[in-house]
Order: sequence, then C-alpha cells, then structure tokens
Amino acid sequence: MLNKRIVKIALPVAIGALALSACGSDDSGGGSSGGGGGDGSGFTIAYQGPLSGPNAQLGINMENGVKLAIKEANESGDYDVTFEYASGDDRGEPGQAASAAQRIIDNDDVIAVVGPAFSGAANVAAPSYGEAGITALSPSATAPDLTEQGFPTFLRGVPNDGEQGAAIASFFAEQGVESAVVIDDLGDYAVGLGNVVEEALGEAGIEVQRESLPADTVDHSSIARTVIQSGADAVAYTGYYAQAAPLAVKLSEQGYEGIGLGGDGVRDPEFVNLASGAAEGWYLSCPCRDLNEDEIGQKFSEAYEAEYSTAPGTYSPEAYDATMMIINAVNELGDSADRASVYDAIAQGEHDGVAKTLTFDETGEYAGSGIYIYEVKDDEIVSLGNVEELVG
Amino acid sequence: MTTTETARDVSAAARLRKTSWYQEPRWQRLAALIGVAVVGAQVTGVEGNNRDIFYALKENFTSTGFAVWLAVCVGIWVVREFAQAPIGSAWGHVKESVKAPAGEVQTLWRKQFWLRVGILSGVLVFLIVLPLLVSRHWQQVLVDQIAIYVLLAIGLNVVVGWAGMLDLGFIAFFAIGAYSAAFWTGSLPVDPPMVLNNFAVIPIAVITCLVAGVLLGAPTLRLRGDYLAIVTLGFHEIVYLGAKNWQSFTGGTSGVRVERFSIDLGFWSYSWGLDPRPYYWLLLGFIIALLVLFIRLEHSRVGRAWTAIREDEVAAASNGVDTVRFKLLAFAIGASTSGIAGVIYASKLAYINSEAFIVLFSILVLSYVIFGGMGSLPGVLIGTAVLVWLPEALRDSVPAQDRYMYLGALLVIMMIYRPQGLWPSRRRQRELHMAEEGTGGADALGGTAGGRQA
Amino acid sequence: MSFHDFWDVLVLGAVLGSLYAVIAIGYTLVYGVLQLLNFAHSEVFMVGGFGGVIALTIFVPATDPSGLQSIAYVAVGMLFGAVLGGTVAFFLEKVAYRPLRRRGAPRLVFLITAIGASFFLYNLVGKLFGRNPMPMPSMYENKTVVTIFGSTISVTQALILGSAVVMLVAVDYVVNRTKLGSGIRAVAQDPEVASLMGVNIDKVVSRTFVLGGLMGGVAGFLFGTTNQVFYTMGFLPGITAFAAAVLGGIGNVRGAMLGGLTLGVVEAFTVEVWGDAWRYVGAFAVLVLVLMFRPTGILGERVARTA
Repeated sequence: MLNKRIVKIALPVAIGALALSACGSDDSGGGSSGGGGGDGSGFTIAYQGPLSGPNAQLGINMENGVKLAIKEANESGDYDVTFEYASGDDRGEPGQAASAAQRIIDNDDVIAVVGPAFSGAANVAAPSYGEAGITALSPSATAPDLTEQGFPTFLRGVPNDGEQGAAIASFFAEQGVESAVVIDDLGDYAVGLGNVVEEALGEAGIEVQRESLPADTVDHSSIARTVIQSGADAVAYTGYYAQAAPLAVKLSEQGYEGIGLGGDGVRDPEFVNLASGAAEGWYLSCPCRDLNEDEIGQKFSEAYEAEYSTAPGTYSPEAYDATMMIINAVNELGDSADRASVYDAIAQGEHDGVAKTLTFDETGEYAGSGIYIYEVKDDEIVSLGNVEELVG
Repeated sequence: MTTTETARDVSAAARLRKTSWYQEPRWQRLAALIGVAVVGAQVTGVEGNNRDIFYALKENFTSTGFAVWLAVCVGIWVVREFAQAPIGSAWGHVKESVKAPAGEVQTLWRKQFWLRVGILSGVLVFLIVLPLLVSRHWQQVLVDQIAIYVLLAIGLNVVVGWAGMLDLGFIAFFAIGAYSAAFWTGSLPVDPPMVLNNFAVIPIAVITCLVAGVLLGAPTLRLRGDYLAIVTLGFHEIVYLGAKNWQSFTGGTSGVRVERFSIDLGFWSYSWGLDPRPYYWLLLGFIIALLVLFIRLEHSRVGRAWTAIREDEVAAASNGVDTVRFKLLAFAIGASTSGIAGVIYASKLAYINSEAFIVLFSILVLSYVIFGGMGSLPGVLIGTAVLVWLPEALRDSVPAQDRYMYLGALLVIMMIYRPQGLWPSRRRQRELHMAEEGTGGADALGGTAGGRQA
Repeated sequence: MSFHDFWDVLVLGAVLGSLYAVIAIGYTLVYGVLQLLNFAHSEVFMVGGFGGVIALTIFVPATDPSGLQSIAYVAVGMLFGAVLGGTVAFFLEKVAYRPLRRRGAPRLVFLITAIGASFFLYNLVGKLFGRNPMPMPSMYENKTVVTIFGSTISVTQALILGSAVVMLVAVDYVVNRTKLGSGIRAVAQDPEVASLMGVNIDKVVSRTFVLGGLMGGVAGFLFGTTNQVFYTMGFLPGITAFAAAVLGGIGNVRGAMLGGLTLGVVEAFTVEVWGDAWRYVGAFAVLVLVLMFRPTGILGERVARTA
C-alpha cells in the first residue's frame, strides 16, 4: 500500500530528473568538447542508419565499414588529426530519422555524416542536415528523387538505379533472353531498381513480367512456381540477398533452368552461403569493383575479416569508401576544417575507394559510372568484368 | 481398514508432503538468481556472428562479465537469505517515516482545490517551456515520438482502458489520417478534387477515420475480446498492405513528400518549418484539448456506460445500456484521435511511406497504454512518455542494436512487479485488489487468466 | 486455372498450412488453459529453428549423407528444435506468466509481458547468433518423392506434411486420451473446480506450455528446412498461426488444425491469383468474413469461459 504511494509521487519526479539529466549531459557533452582545436584536433564522423529493427543487418554492415575506416585512419599515423565515431540508429524508419539526425547535429564534434542509409529516412533527415550544413554522404540510399529535392548537403555515394537497369537489360539481350521475370521485394530500393530494369528490358524488346515478393515472405514456393509457369528464360531479382537465397533454392528445386540475376543487394558472400548449391551460375550486377581484383580491395577484405570475423557484407565497402573520403577531406583541410568547408571539399572532390571512385555532380548525384557483372562459380563470386566489355 | 494399509497411506501422504532439498524456496531462489546471471551475461555480452554460431556463447561464458554477474547475483542471494531481518526492519522504518507525509500530501491533494489547480498549472507551464530547456535532439524526440505517441495512446486508452475492447489495429487509423493529409494537400500521385490546407485536412481525416472505424466496428464489435483483437490486427495488416502495394495511389515504400503546416489569415501568416518546437506546441494544444474533452467524457453518462460495459457487458446490456452504440462510439473516438495524430505526423515529417505504419507499432502503442495503467489518463501519459523516452536514452549507454531488448525486459519486469501499471486509475486498482483477494474479476475482458491456484 | 494448377497450388497451401496448424496448436492450448494470447509463442518457434541449426552444425559433417544418415540428421534436428522450444516455453511460463497468475493480474497485462518477452527473446537471439539469416545445413538430397496428378512433392514438403500429421494426431491423442489431457481440459473448463478435484494447476499449465513449445520448436525446425533461420522469423508465421487458431475456434485443438490448413490454402490461392504482395490480405479477409458469420470460429470455442 504505502510504498505504492511513494512510488506514485517519486516516479514522475525521478523520471523528470532523469530526462533532464540525460538532456543536460547531452548538452554538456557536446559543448565542452566541441569546437575542436585545443588538444590535437579530434573530429567525429557519424553514421546514420538502421542498427535495430528488421533491417539491422544492413545497417551493421555499413557501421562496421565506417568504424573500420576510422580505426585504420587513427592507427595508420598518416593523419594529423584523429577521428571518433558516433552512431545514429534510426531503425530505417522515417519516424525516427529526424531525431536520430538531430542527435548527430547537436554533437558539435561531428564534421560529416555517412548516411542516412535508407531513402525514407534520408527524405526526412536530409533537410535537417542541410540546415546544419553537415555533409550527408549516403552509401546506399538509391531513390532517384532524393537528389532532385534540392537538399543542400546531401550527396549520394552510389549510382541511382538508372544505369544498373540499362546494364542488366543489355546483359540479358547479350545472353539471348527473350522473356524475363523481374521480381522486387516491395522495398523502395528494390521497386526503384525493378522499375528501371523493367523499362530497360521493355526497350530492349524483351518480354517482361513483373512480380513482387515481400521482404518478409514465409514461403518462396509460390513465386518459384509463377516463374516456371511463365516460361521465362531469365529472372532478375532486385532486392537483397536474404530473400534471393531462398528464391534461388526454390527455383532450383522446382527445376528452373534459365538465367538468374541479382542486383547489387544480392552481391554478398552470404547469398552463396545461404543458397548453398542453388546459387551456382547466378549472375550479380553491381556498380562496384571486385574486391579481389586489386590490392587495396584485398587489404580491405582482410582487415574487415580480422576485425569482425565475417566477410564484408552488402554496402560495407561503400560505407568504408564514404568514410575514407571524409577522412581525407578533413585531413587536407587540417585544423581549419569545419562542416561547410568539408562539404565543399567532398562535393567537389574525388576519392578512389575500394569499391569505386566517388565523385559527385552539382545535385549531389554520384557521377561515376560502370556496372560490373559477377557470377557465382564454385561457391565464389567471380567478376566477369565491366558490362560494357561483356556486351561489347 | 487394516493397520498396514493405514501405514501405507500415511507414508504415501508423507511422500507427497516431503520436499527435497532442491524444492526448498531458498535453493530455488539461488537457482533463479544464477539463471539471471546466465541470461544477464548474454545480454551484456559480445555480438555473435553466423560464421561461428557458438562464438558469442563461448566468449560470454568465459568473460569476466559472467563472473561479475555471478558474483553480484550470489551476493544478492546471500544478503537476502542471511541478512533479511535487519534489512526488513530498516525498510519498515523508512516506510513508516514516509507514511505520514505521503498520506498528508495525498489528502491535501484531494481536499485543496487551489493546490490542485496550482500544481496542474505548474505542470502545464513546465510542459510549455520544456522544449526551451532541452537540446534540439530532445525537441525532435519530444515531437516525433513522445508527443505523437502520447496522442495515440490517449486515443487508444478510450478504446482499451475505458470501453475494454482489445484493439490491435490502432495504427491503421493513424495511417488513414496520414494518407488523408497527403491526399488532400495534393502530395499523393493522385490529384485530390481540391487542394486543402493541412489544418483543413484535420476534420476531413477525423471524418474519414470515423467512417472507417464505424465500417470496421459495426460488423465486428459483436465479437468478444480476443476475436476483436485478431480482426483489428487483420484490418491493420490489410490497410498496411494496401498502402504498401497500391503504389500508384500511395507511393508505396518509396513514399511521398507532404506539405508542412502553414496558416494564412490574411493579416498574419506562419509556416511551420524544420524547427520542431512549433510542432510541439501545436501537438501540446491538441493533446490538452483532447484531454479536457476525454476527462469530461469519462465522467459523463457515456463514460459510466463504458465502465459498465467493461466490467460486465451482459449486466450492462440488461440494465438498458445500448452496448453496441457505446462501443462503436468508443471505437470511433479512438479512431479519429489516431487520425488527427496521423495528419500531424505526416505534416511534421513532410514525408510518409508505408513503413511508418507497420503492425509492430500497434502492438507498441497498446503496451504503452497498459504499461502506464490503462484507464488512467495520467498513467497513460507518463507510461507512454517513459517507454518512448527509454530507447532514446539508452542510446548513450548500450549498443544501438540492443535497445529494444532492454525495452522488452523492462516490460516483463515491470508487469511482474506492478501489473496495474505505473499510475493506475483508482477504479482499476480496486478491481485488481479484488481480484488478488479472489472476490472479483480484474477484467471484464474475461476473468483472470487461468484462475487461481487453490 | 487448370486442374493441374489447382492441384499444384493446393499442395503448396497444404504444406504451408500444416506448418501453421502445428504452430497454432501452441496458441490454442495455452489459450485453452489460461485464456491468454501467448504472443511470445512466435519466439518459441524461432528458437526451435535455431535449435535445429545448432544441432546440425554440430552433428552434420559436410559429406553426402546416406539414406539412414539423412533420417538420423532430421531426427536430431527435430529433437533439438523441440527441446529448445519446450525449454523456452517452460521458462517463459515460469518467469513471465506464473508470477502474474499468482497475483490474479488482468489478462491484458499477460499480453504485455508476452510482447515484452518476445522483444527480449528475439533481440537476444539476434545478438547471440548474428542477424544474418542462416541456412539449415543440408541433411538430404531434396529430390521428388512422389508425383500426384502431375504435381511433384519434394522430400522437404513430404517431411513437413508427414511430421505435421504425426504431431497433430499425437497432440489430439494427448489432449483427448491421456491424464495430462484430461487435466488440460479440466483446467480449461473451470480452474477452481479442477484444483478442488486435485488437479495441480501449476503443473498442468506448465506442461501445456511445454507441449505447445515442443510443437512450436519442431515447426521452427521445419520452417528452417524450407526457408531459412533468422532472428525475426517468428513474427509473421506467429501472427498467421494465431489468426489460424482464432479462425478454427480458439481453445479448440482440432479447430486450430483446421484453421491452419485453411489459412495456408487460402494464402496459396491468393498468391496464385493476385501475387505474393497480397498474401495476407486474402488470409485476413477470410478470417474477418468467417468471424462475421461464426463469431467463435469455424468449429467454435470449446473452452467454457468463466465470466
């Protein structure tokens, strides 16, 4: 009876105090160490993306890339400044994006942000970053209209879907495909890519059937049946590896013999691991170079494996590249670096990364080019080369 | 009856009565605490990976964290078992010394009208200036999450807390409100008959949600508790899938950009922008207006009818309460509150996509209401604020991936130790007490679970 | 739709539906004795899947198994799934529900502890074993076993159908013919009178959870063989199975079986006609329609409600 009354009175007070102290500590934390300078110049690079919720794994892939880049930069000794990491979990939801972004903005040490990872979150958060003048360099948000909104500091570190769609269409045409099924996972990335693939295939004179396979599907037998019934020679799946794997398994179980192709969301070692034998012979398209092709790529893979005891996942190299670009830009500016000058340096700069070369046009759109085709051979993802060379 | 038989009976009875050492409460408590240590070590341990699935388990059981957990838990057990008397008496002493002032405060609160007014207006002033006191991050949290969910929770409280209907599809109306806002401000791929100001959309959204609520409610409100729950859940799933799949109308997961609030009175105009504070005050206004309305409603004939329905629907009906009408009313009021929240949400974010309306959110809002103490407005307000605030606050202390694990653990622990919620309504508390003493049901949603062990 | 298509889709639906039926049993048994929506049952299912993966990672060497080995692997996976599912269900009841039952808390409070427990469990599993999906190690060569009316049934499908039928028959036997079953039915009808008659309610409730957990665990393992295992895999099958239990008449074991099969078949036909995106729309529309005309499910509720 009694202690309940105490709780009744004490609880709101305690909660109020806690809330205020939490906010207070936030403020002081940002304020006291803010401004840089003083003790040998530390800068913070933040990451915004999903770290909890259903898409946590993609977010963790990226976070690992960002952290690895920061760690390597600090340990290499090549840089005059040191870097710290700050995370901003938005669960991949628009509703949490503004507050996650604001938390990063309120931290005065943050010089630039890798993210927002998802297009929905980017739509909500980018205006806030713009107002604060913080570079938001997204390693993965591909919705085409993001760069058309006039967000002041938003940069996209991946090509939007247009180029990849055209590449897939020309690759299919080269392979003599006459009819194809395009499957998305109803997510914004997959639908966007699916739309351009569908359009490009149509232009190439290939008969297209469009299907949707929600990302949380419990049973992939039905879609596999649909594909086989359609009699198509090729399947293009534009979602992520987690769904592509059971799809590939069911297709092979039901005796599908045509071409299977996945977009850049499927090009993940986990796809091969999950689908075991069924992934064999699948093609994967990606606007990214083969990590095993050159030395820096291999070095990155090894460092990543050593650090996280797992191979780099989807978007890990992209996040790593974005972070490294920021690090280099800040380092060149040295102690005088602030949010605005870093944005200018990155927006006009160029960075030769492990996955691709990052440059941007005036709207913040990725300006590089080149789609590479990979194939799964003997449980390894092997590069076949640039699609232009393949198609000739 | 022969003597040998009696002897056997006695021994059988004795065998039944005999408790082995491990059945003694003391050792069971030790086992439970060791269990807590094992789970706790996993909770605070390392991140696993699927390359080596035993990695995290191996690390956690050999780490110092496990040893610390074990030591703390065993320590607690030792203190509890062997130093109970002094601690108990000290705690009793503390209770005694707080009893008198606490009781006085409560009687003062009940008797002094002006004190109540003073404290409430103090709270109100505090709430109004609150965004000026906190950092902008917390302002965003206050608006995007706390205020929106508070608005939702007070709406759901009408349905669940007062009318006693289990609604698992509340966010569906939130979605309808948000998409109404997008539609009537001309933001969807489809053009509306006329483009309206966001504020003008609010009554339209209310009406749309009312109609949707009645359309869903009329055929289904005959259903009892759990059937209603699954039907509302199904309704939510259908609305969500509609928003997700009907891309030519809703924009699907790619979403659409929505106009923000603006007001133009000719002589004075204002547009809401990126600054979260104006939205906060707007939301606060709506919340207070609705609170006043709902408090009036609770103490009116309608509120009493809801109470009657909640406590015993059959008795209420036989006493002339038009149960279907009042249930429908509660459902519609809840739905339209949710719709208002949806309009404000869409206008604040200036963007919506279907992923903002997943089924999980309906379940979350329901847990906020019950966590606070269903039926009690202060409880619902505080419960929602605490539960929404917690994952944000945990950002600083635990890995982001684990925040919702702690939220889940808190829900379980809180409900075990305080099933009536943070701040239960007096009526609810009495019902629970009666249930605990075995003199009545705690819940008209259908008795107490599993009855009570004799 | 030709007859062949019809048959094909029916088989797909039956396989999925029998999985739903097995999960739905867990919901309906617990509902029978406690009138409680055990939301955390979906995590029991998920844990069962992980149990299978863990067991098979330990026991299955990376070679092509012979026929007998295949059977042994499947048995081991199933056993581990069942044991893990049963264990989690047991502790779930003990930690999250029993203290509430002692206090006579309102049923909605149970719902919240169930939700809390579900959040806790799936996030913990995600943390411990990683958040990437995991494949079930291959235990057998997944070839066609039988062809009926031109529709092929693969080993996996036969495995799911077969074990589901066995489990459903077994649980029906347990509930209707054994002492535990009469205990369960007694508690479902009137807990107070049952306890006066010497039924140990705590024990019956605990065993009911374990029984549901065993089934849920095996279902998780089976789901892993046809799909994959990941920490959030319980959510949607859980909700659908819950809907199936309600559809059949909650608290009614045979109703849950019927409801599960119905929903599976309805889903398969919805997908066939309108595509995967609308899968649950068909299922829930059928649910709402049925409940409108039969407010207590197809077979009706068997539990006598104490009001």
